[in-house]
Amino acid sequence: MGSLTLQTSSDFSFRASAPKDIDLELFEITYVQCGDVELERKIDEKIDQFIDKVEKHPNKKNQICLSFYEVKNKQATWFSNKVERLHWEQWYINLNVTQNPKGHSGKSHLPKVEVNPGDTAAEARRARRTALECSLRDILFQIIRFVNEKRDHVPPIPNLDGVSFPYEITISRFCFWDGHVQENAPNWASYNAQLISKAFELVRFL
Amino acid sequence: MDSLSFWNRTLMEPMIIDIILVQESPNPSSELTSPAASGTEASTETVIERWMVQYEGQRLMAPQIGEATYKKMYRKSIILLRSVHAMLRLLPAYKAFRKLCSLKQNCDFVINYKVCSFSSPFSRAEEESMKKYSFVPIDIQPGRLSVSVIYREDLSDFNLDVLVSCPPQIITDYVERGNQILPPHFSDLTAGQVVCIRMFLHHRANPLGSPPLHRSPYEYSPSPTETYIHRNQNQRFPTHQKTTSDDLLSPPFSSSPSPSPPTYLSGGNTVQSRLRSETAPVSIPHPMMGRSPRFLSPNLSDPSRHSLPPLSPRNTRYDPSSHESSSGIRSMRRLDSLRAGESSSGPINVSPKVARDAKEDSGRFSSLLSSGSSPRVGFSRSSSRLSFQDDFGDCDFSCPFIVDDVDPPDSQASLNPDGTKSSEVSSQASSTAKKSQDAAVGILVHMLKTAPPLRQDSGYYTSQSSKIEFEGEVGAASEFFKPRKTSDALEELKVYKEMKDLLLSKSAARLVGKEKRWT
Repeated sequence: MGSLTLQTSSDFSFRASAPKDIDLELFEITYVQCGDVELERKIDEKIDQFIDKVEKHPNKKNQICLSFYEVKNKQATWFSNKVERLHWEQWYINLNVTQNPKGHSGKSHLPKVEVNPGDTAAEARRARRTALECSLRDILFQIIRFVNEKRDHVPPIPNLDGVSFPYEITISRFCFWDGHVQENAPNWASYNAQLISKAFELVRFL
Repeated sequence: MDSLSFWNRTLMEPMIIDIILVQESPNPSSELTSPAASGTEASTETVIERWMVQYEGQRLMAPQIGEATYKKMYRKSIILLRSVHAMLRLLPAYKAFRKLCSLKQNCDFVINYKVCSFSSPFSRAEEESMKKYSFVPIDIQPGRLSVSVIYREDLSDFNLDVLVSCPPQIITDYVERGNQILPPHFSDLTAGQVVCIRMFLHHRANPLGSPPLHRSPYEYSPSPTETYIHRNQNQRFPTHQKTTSDDLLSPPFSSSPSPSPPTYLSGGNTVQSRLRSETAPVSIPHPMMGRSPRFLSPNLSDPSRHSLPPLSPRNTRYDPSSHESSSGIRSMRRLDSLRAGESSSGPINVSPKVARDAKEDSGRFSSLLSSGSSPRVGFSRSSSRLSFQDDFGDCDFSCPFIVDDVDPPDSQASLNPDGTKSSEVSSQASSTAKKSQDAAVGILVHMLKTAPPLRQDSGYYTSQSSKIEFEGEVGAASEFFKPRKTSDALEELKVYKEMKDLLLSKSAARLVGKEKRWT
């Protein structure tokens, strides 16, 4: 699928790479990667950075921002020769990693699941895991939906030797809520950082 | 891909791809099945996913498309294709497909697909259970391409997980796991043979305790057989008895007259020697069973009689019925006490007399042998001797021919001043004593005959007479094996006495004649 190219005078196709199916270890979910080794390495580095930050500052709200931009060469002035980046798409993922209330040193904050008092611990974990799997699948569906609803803003493919548009991943304690930068965003729907990072990869694939 | 070729010809017609779940068992819920389902008796087809790809072309010819348009079309097509690609893997049918791929031969369902340009619509109930998603169409001049999907959100009704919940697994350590249950040298045995061996060990250790074993999982411990024996030594009659253990009793433990392992039934001596060393149990024929019921144990009516060896015929002969019952009860009590806490080596307190008797009084054991299986005898030998010794200790036995105490051959030889002949006789006496009680009578008679002579000068004649007597004894020995009474023995004693007197008188007459001649 990733090998569709259109040969014209100007090469506006990405470097062909076969998409790769990745099965999650914890859930029965299969997502797709670009298949580019370099891209995967960079994403894994960012994931590790996020995990380290979370370990140093637990119970803190964090935000991962994936932004796609195009480089605009600004006319050079006397004092600056900056290269302007025009972000045409940004994905904000707010993550709040908390410890498991059972005492497990997990980094996942499971969504609230109604657990009957009679359930055993294993059943409770299974229920939480099932709920998290459903939530993650819903998130992935939502990403696909978002990507398909808005396509006109995608700029032309730059003449670069790569498989995707230029992108940038930033990790900050600040988050954007309602379009404004807020330091302490409300604690809504926080997910496992690593799983959301996999969503990053899906977005990049799309 | 061949099925898509027909659709290329008719570009304006939609291409419908149905993903069909085929299950072997018929689905009773016919409402959820597609009308296009074949509904065969053996399988049920259900559309779980339907993709519709349609190119809506415009009738009017589109203006010439510029390069920018192509670029835009390319970007959007890439996004659409990648979205479809990602969506396919998130739908429930993909999960079933992965299960099918991983467990090919153990799934009761199959996933097929069908490509057509038209399909029957779903019913209202089916549509309610399905979700639809339509991708944003992309403009591909002169028309636009649209893709949509209708899928079942939940496949739990088909119980796909149940069907693949028990995948086959290869137990790589099956043999090793089985060997851990039994001792290593038992690894080649079948289960039935193992049970037989266990029963044998139990009976060998506790032959009086013939009730079936309590088969508990703890019996299959990897401990050696010795510890198993010792563990069963302390067991009383188990309260819980399983009938299956009765069925698994090996033939050697049955009381059938037919001999069981033929290698053991080579002769009476062999059996007795085996009994002494408590080797393999055998099913010994019961020659004395047909003689007379009086030789059997008086406790035949006792339900616990099967645990006691029957009394010897001698004992039954002289025991009053009341005493027999009491002795039987006492012996049973003793046996119970012995069985409770004693080891397989036998009773703790065994008097030398009893030990000696146990060593020599094999005649009694032969009868015991004949009346029951050997394992019981092997264990009960000393204990029964102990009990019998106590039982008969209080009785007044005036008859000397009741063999309770049989002197060892050494004591017999010490009474005979004649060296060689007496040793031969003693060995013969010891051999005959083992065979039957009647031989003991002959021994006693022989003792009387080999008594020191009344006169020393008649030593030659005594040797001659003893020789004659020895020869006669051989012929008479056969007679002694017959059952005899006391009166018969006394009469015979008188006869011998007369013969002796006669011989002495003759020798005296010869001496007198010689003296006269010399003079």
